[in-house]
Amino acid sequence: MAKKKILACMMLICLCMFTAGCWDRRELQERNFVLAVAIDTADAGMKPGVNPEQEPEVKRVETFVQPHGTKRYRLSLQLLKLGKNGDGKDKSKTYVISNTGDSMFEMARDMLGQSSKSLWFEHVQVIIISEAVLRQTGLGEILDFFKRDSEMRSRMRVYVTPGEARPFLEYIPPNKEAGGMYLSNMINLHVKNLHVPGKRTELASIIQYLDSNSNLVMNRIEMADKVVKLGGLVLFKKDKFIGYVDEYAVAGMKYIFGSEKSAIVTIPCPDHPDHQVIFELFRHDTRLRPHVDGDTIYFTLDINMYGNIGELQGDIELENTMDSQYVDKLESAFADEIKRTILYSMQISQNQMKVDILNLFASKLKAYEPDTWAKVKEQWEEIYPDIPLVISVNVSIRNIGSHR
Amino acid sequence: MANLEAKTYMSTLQLMIVTITTCIGAQIMLSPRALIASLGQAAWISVIIGGVIFYIAACLMLKLGKQYPDETLVEYAPRLFGPLGGSVIVLWFNLLFFLQIIEIFSGVGKIITFFMFDRTPPEVVILGLLVVCTYCALQDWGTILRVQQFMFFVAYSMLTVVWLASMLNFQPENMLPLWTANGKNVISGGVSTWPMYSGYECVLLLLPLVYRQANFAKLAKIMGGAFGCMTLFFLMIIIIIIGVLTVENAKSIPYPALNVIRSVELPGTFIERLENYLLLTWIPVVFDTLAVMMFFMGQVCMRYYGYVDHRPWVLMLVPIVYVCSILLLDDQQVYDTISKYTLWAGLGFSFAVVPLSLILSWRQKRKAGARCG
Repeated sequence: MAKKKILACMMLICLCMFTAGCWDRRELQERNFVLAVAIDTADAGMKPGVNPEQEPEVKRVETFVQPHGTKRYRLSLQLLKLGKNGDGKDKSKTYVISNTGDSMFEMARDMLGQSSKSLWFEHVQVIIISEAVLRQTGLGEILDFFKRDSEMRSRMRVYVTPGEARPFLEYIPPNKEAGGMYLSNMINLHVKNLHVPGKRTELASIIQYLDSNSNLVMNRIEMADKVVKLGGLVLFKKDKFIGYVDEYAVAGMKYIFGSEKSAIVTIPCPDHPDHQVIFELFRHDTRLRPHVDGDTIYFTLDINMYGNIGELQGDIELENTMDSQYVDKLESAFADEIKRTILYSMQISQNQMKVDILNLFASKLKAYEPDTWAKVKEQWEEIYPDIPLVISVNVSIRNIGSHR
Repeated sequence: MANLEAKTYMSTLQLMIVTITTCIGAQIMLSPRALIASLGQAAWISVIIGGVIFYIAACLMLKLGKQYPDETLVEYAPRLFGPLGGSVIVLWFNLLFFLQIIEIFSGVGKIITFFMFDRTPPEVVILGLLVVCTYCALQDWGTILRVQQFMFFVAYSMLTVVWLASMLNFQPENMLPLWTANGKNVISGGVSTWPMYSGYECVLLLLPLVYRQANFAKLAKIMGGAFGCMTLFFLMIIIIIIGVLTVENAKSIPYPALNVIRSVELPGTFIERLENYLLLTWIPVVFDTLAVMMFFMGQVCMRYYGYVDHRPWVLMLVPIVYVCSILLLDDQQVYDTISKYTLWAGLGFSFAVVPLSLILSWRQKRKAGARCG
């Protein structure tokens, strides 16, 4: 009996050795955390500070012999420095390595030749893609590695820049945050910023739109000297880059989508056009609905907004915000301005770009008028530019602020 | 000394719990993609229809079981179909559990390896799970019942709580249009939800433990409760997947339930990558399904060959289960073919074997009655 027990114990210990999951052990100090990814064309410029004469040599060392295909991309990774910053002169918490190739995965694996530790993608916060790459390759191909690998986060932010993407990884944030975290967190306040689309622009949503063959949008990021800013959006027809949309049109789109939680609307004062009055939106009810009348499809957009007067650029003696008639005039003027913004945005979407942004109108028609959608879905791209939108905006000023 | 764990009775509520824990298992991760791909927007209606269809099947089984109060299918099948026919039916019955077990082991091995332990071979993941399930299946029914009850209240509630976090990304308009024009597809879709509901066949083994405490009406009511819970649970899974991902997106993802939870961000917390939490709560749910199914397989063999102990049979089946699960790992085509055959075997058993058995048992009883005068 005792022998049996000993044998059973030994078997159990042996089993533990094989089934305890130690094969997946990865020590923290043996990881190189990737915080941000930049994707450029293979022939994009080198990192700042490299002697132009040395460029071809640096590129040769960075890359690898590739038997198939052409080197289309330059992949740059921003890695977190885990050690102390030496003499303290180097203020950056991160450093960047690059590689050129045709496959993201192959480049990433080859970059282990530039790293003393394994590359860890679980904490990637942001992907920045240059416009040049998007003009050359479809978004689906560029993002395939990131959507397929289980290490990647679904919530990572994806930005597009008109210039090169790698310099963003070299950028040292003024608040000493790690670069990738800083760039990712910039989008978090999109609900208060009408000029940034924000919502449904993270990797998971982009993949969702790509799978649904929908048009999609991404955030535009730009850098000049030490200024980095998000603003406007980048428009895609399916996965093909179409162009940029300015901040004013983004505001109109956010009104249509109802994705803003707060907004600032500026109008000239109805009585004194050289003065400015600013409305701060606190709450809204937005409803976009399709209607079918015979063969005619049209949409109605009903918006009710509630908020305060946020600022008055003028003479408070002349503009009495405590006068209810004046407030009525303001409400009507704010409603007109919001309508104007929406019409501008529709003009960009329908006439200039001819793209149903995020397939919003198509998805509403599919959801609420499925029979009509079944008839028109094949011709939707041709029909969309002529679809009328009837807008009704009602603004309610609930408060004038803490001063008249 | 008497074995206190060898339970000879259980309450109807316990039967309900065991039915739920046997049915709800790995398929909540493995089935949704195929269901949504074939039914699209109407997948949720098919889940409801499936619930009704398989509830009817379960009621037929209750009715059959009531004809033979102290016996399981293994004992009365040879009397109904003859020695050879009876053996085929018992083999068919046991094969249902076996096919489901190997599919679940294989699927779970793949998922755990891909999402959690990418360096561990799935063979090792399967082996670890198989050892734990075997240990549980080697116990007597009293112990297993306690495990099932514990899991029902702990693992399922944790799984539900984690899963409901995905409501944060729910877009109601993704569910529209709610109704589909093709009713035929929806009904055939209802039948194809069998892998989700499968496991209710266990009542044919468990009825002798409860029959003295309940009449058919009460058992049907209890089974209705079990199917109601299961339908609600599966509805919650399918509706949230479509509402978060859209039908088109869900079709392109092998395990959409994990992608749903993966994109959840809990604002103001340090909790990230919720798919790992979902997997951690899902593993116990899979464990209790597999353990109880392995126990049922052992019981069927024990009763068929006239043994008094199910344990040697469980141990004998372990290497077969392991090898077959491993064989399914490498070839998706074989996996899909086995799944298809399992579906047909399950439907055939519920809607051909059970009604036929019922008819035969009524006929035999009528004949016996006539002979008695």
